[in-house]
Amino acid sequence: MWNDLVELLFQAYEQFSLLPLFIEIALAFIIIAIAATIIAYGAIMYKRYKSYVHEKRVAFINPIIEDLITEQVLLNDSLGRDIPTEEIEFNPEAITNKVYKKPFVRQILIDTLIQYRKNFRGEVGDLLRKLYLDMGLDKDSFAKMKSVRWEKKIKAVVELTQMDITISDVTILPLTNSTNASLRAAARNAYIQLSKNEPFKFFDIATEPLLPWDQLEMFKIITTTKDIAIPNFSRWVSYSSNKSVVSFCLKLIAHYDQQSAVPAVMELLNNKDHYFRADAISCLGKLSAEASEEKMVKIYNHQPLNCQLEILKAMGNIASGKYLEFLKSEFLFSSNFDIRMNAARAIIKHNTQNSRLLVEELMEMTYEENQLIIKHCLNPLIKY
Amino acid sequence: MSNILVIEDDDIMLKAIRNILRKDGHEVITAKDGKEAFEKLDNEQYDIVMTDLMMPYANGLEVVSRIRSNSEKRNVGIIVCSSVGNEETITEAFRLGADDYLKKPIMAGELMIRIRKLLANRSGNVKLVTKKK
Amino acid sequence: MGVTFVEIASGFFETSVFIYGVSLLLIYALLAIMSFLNIALFLRKESYTDYKVIVGSPLAPGISVIAPAFNEGLTIISNVRSLLTFDYPNYEVIIINDGSTDDTLEKVINEFSLVKVDFAYDIKLSAKPVRGVYKSRDEAYAKLIVVDKENGKAKADATNVGINVSNFPYFLCTDVDCILHEQTLGMLIRPMLEEENMRVIATGATLRMANSCEVDEGVLIAIKAPRPLLARFQELEYIRSFVMGKMGWSYINAVPNVSGGLGMFDKEIAVKAGGYDPASFGEDMELRMRMSRYVYDNKIKASVRYIPTTLCWTEGPTSVKIFMRQRTRWARGLLQLMLAHKKMLFNPAYGRVGLIVFPYNFFFELLAPVVEFLGIIYYLFLIYFGLVNWPYAIILLIFVYTYSVMISSLSVLWDQLTFQYYKTWKDVIRVIAMVFVEMIIYHPLIVVFSLRGYWFQLTNRKHSWGNMQRAGFKKKSDDKSKKPQPAVSPS
Repeated sequence: MWNDLVELLFQAYEQFSLLPLFIEIALAFIIIAIAATIIAYGAIMYKRYKSYVHEKRVAFINPIIEDLITEQVLLNDSLGRDIPTEEIEFNPEAITNKVYKKPFVRQILIDTLIQYRKNFRGEVGDLLRKLYLDMGLDKDSFAKMKSVRWEKKIKAVVELTQMDITISDVTILPLTNSTNASLRAAARNAYIQLSKNEPFKFFDIATEPLLPWDQLEMFKIITTTKDIAIPNFSRWVSYSSNKSVVSFCLKLIAHYDQQSAVPAVMELLNNKDHYFRADAISCLGKLSAEASEEKMVKIYNHQPLNCQLEILKAMGNIASGKYLEFLKSEFLFSSNFDIRMNAARAIIKHNTQNSRLLVEELMEMTYEENQLIIKHCLNPLIKY
Repeated sequence: MSNILVIEDDDIMLKAIRNILRKDGHEVITAKDGKEAFEKLDNEQYDIVMTDLMMPYANGLEVVSRIRSNSEKRNVGIIVCSSVGNEETITEAFRLGADDYLKKPIMAGELMIRIRKLLANRSGNVKLVTKKK
Repeated sequence: MGVTFVEIASGFFETSVFIYGVSLLLIYALLAIMSFLNIALFLRKESYTDYKVIVGSPLAPGISVIAPAFNEGLTIISNVRSLLTFDYPNYEVIIINDGSTDDTLEKVINEFSLVKVDFAYDIKLSAKPVRGVYKSRDEAYAKLIVVDKENGKAKADATNVGINVSNFPYFLCTDVDCILHEQTLGMLIRPMLEEENMRVIATGATLRMANSCEVDEGVLIAIKAPRPLLARFQELEYIRSFVMGKMGWSYINAVPNVSGGLGMFDKEIAVKAGGYDPASFGEDMELRMRMSRYVYDNKIKASVRYIPTTLCWTEGPTSVKIFMRQRTRWARGLLQLMLAHKKMLFNPAYGRVGLIVFPYNFFFELLAPVVEFLGIIYYLFLIYFGLVNWPYAIILLIFVYTYSVMISSLSVLWDQLTFQYYKTWKDVIRVIAMVFVEMIIYHPLIVVFSLRGYWFQLTNRKHSWGNMQRAGFKKKSDDKSKKPQPAVSPS
């Protein structure tokens, strides 16, 4: 019986080896394709089954977690009575329920607590953090940090940052130089939020670009972390050779209205990179830096279009009234539509007796398209 | 007792706010999107409407505008509560007639105080109106 | 010398077809691997990403959403409403009324209390004249701009007007009747903001059929696989084309096309490249090519990226007639484009676009229907003369069939790994069933319609086409070129 089978296979092989090469290849691929197809459907079934089980579990556990947070945190009777959060105790029975020992439940717990923290700060936020600590969930996050997978590490860093848990410098600093850009960004954010002494240290050393997406997250961390010591960002504007760090600092300078940074930012008006100059001009406008107006008008004629437009916008923000004549001539004589539009807008933004008279005067003396520009800018329904 | 409509598309936040406000002694009705909000606004009178900005069907600004353009509902206190924090959106909300703007994450204590204040102002206004009559 | 000319010719033909076929199969295998890697990378990033960060950020870049509408009176209100509810802090919605002959404009004016305003804008891209620009008196709709223009007989013309009027550095091109995910803007802008040393000039995401989905006032309630047979085939085709095709190409920065149904673009580059071409039958791919040309000519390092998440649901044609019109048009567009930009073929000055995107599309998209057609003729010829080795022929046929089934099955798997859009097994099976019959029913249609398109283009059938297109344009679910770019069609 066994021999028969071997014999049969042998014969089949002999037959097979006699076939032309392309038919052999085709036959081999048919088998591979059928196998791959079967595996694909197996994988689909497995994947769907797994998420089905997960969904069931989540549906079961979510109400329990919600009740826990509602009773222990949101409706905690000690809230609103000036009791320090550290002294508020949770019901020990409620938080030691054995269902909270399962790993998947703990992960859902962490995710849910973070969801709540995104919605609540203040006392409720602190109490959520205490619940996270009292249930020992920080240990889960720290364990994830040791994972070899970078996305797990990032998740851990994000969780700890969200929960405001200090990560030792020894752990986090190496990650701020990771070759993985996403991990690097997450680690930097954590460092800014959690480092007590020098949160902006890596601004000095960062050589890789700070990508716009990372800037979004970092901006949020910087502007929402309480007790963070906001430095004078002009330091990096003057000394950093990392362009993205400088342009990020310009945004922070504008946000914190750091007037003392004006001279440092004005230095950038001489920079060779015109995108960079445009950022600096825009920053000066947001700072309403009257001192920079003269210089901007002086360099105006040698600038590429994007910088010229930024200068006009900045002059609208500064609105000192000293350069209405300049704006007027740009509006009347420029051949570029965008320049005329921004000049008109800058004049209107002054919103003074003089500027209003000028607008009336321009309205009478100019041609149809320019009149339309003025009407456009004056219309309160049009935002841009 | 006051009647509060909470409009919010994030389920967690919706339930949390409902629980907090109920504990504070308010009657709370919830809506999870713009469509439900409009239905509930038509059906009942509220003292305060608290709304998110970005939701399916209609955004929070529409809710504010709809309430303010209805003469019967002029007196409703409106609190906008959103994670959007840019100046433009906030001023837009106030111009449309919102009484207050809370940026998420919010402080529960602050929310309750603002609601009480709004309610106090409101009853003040109502009294003024009745006096005039 | 017994070798006849016919034998040489047939030998040559067989060899080239063999090489052609093998290369095609290898490319598909490569695409399957690359798309898998790309999706895995995407999912890893997604696992810790919170798009709320950009929603709450004052640094979120501005985006103009541009949606042309032609005779959409029935659904325009809910469509506009749904465009106004994106989860994004900094955007405007520009609706272009492309000379509708129904009450589209009146409806929008009444619903959103619009008034005509004196609106100044620069005509950077030439297009048909604008009759008026409308803004709302209600500040709740401050994001909305409605432009009324003369009909330009092309979506490209309307979109160009939208670009002229727009105010932000990025624009999203879509159709007013597409149903978009609320997170669309955040998810599509992200790749633009996180590439080192490269300017991402366009991004796109997966499209899917809205045919059997539950939709309420422009909001998607439940995602279902389409029921009509033709739409089911398209669903499978879109999954394969986006989730496997585009994600695979995106991995090596060689995306051939950003679909006209949903795509985000860097406005500066799009405008400098000249905007959409109203004369093109495939204006979305044409713009992508022109943008590439522009960046290479100006030495800008650029990329085009795709994400596997479905962000757009669109109504697919369910009648063979309309479907034919759509595919004929796409085929015309492809041929037209290849001829117009033939300079780029194998041109190293255009980098990957010249060396990968163009050759692939030329040989395996444009020529595929022709090769297939010739192959069938050849086989018929062999059969007629009794020259067919039937066992071999059948083995080869089974080979091609099983291979294409495998590729489609893997696409469905990749899609399921990305996100399980279908809640029930029924829906999954509805799509999977198509995998096994596609080659027999759907694929021949595509070949014939493509050849028809090439024929029309070569014989320059302009006028009859224009009329047909306009007649069809009135109907919902017509060929508005939400092209998945026919990549990875089983052949």
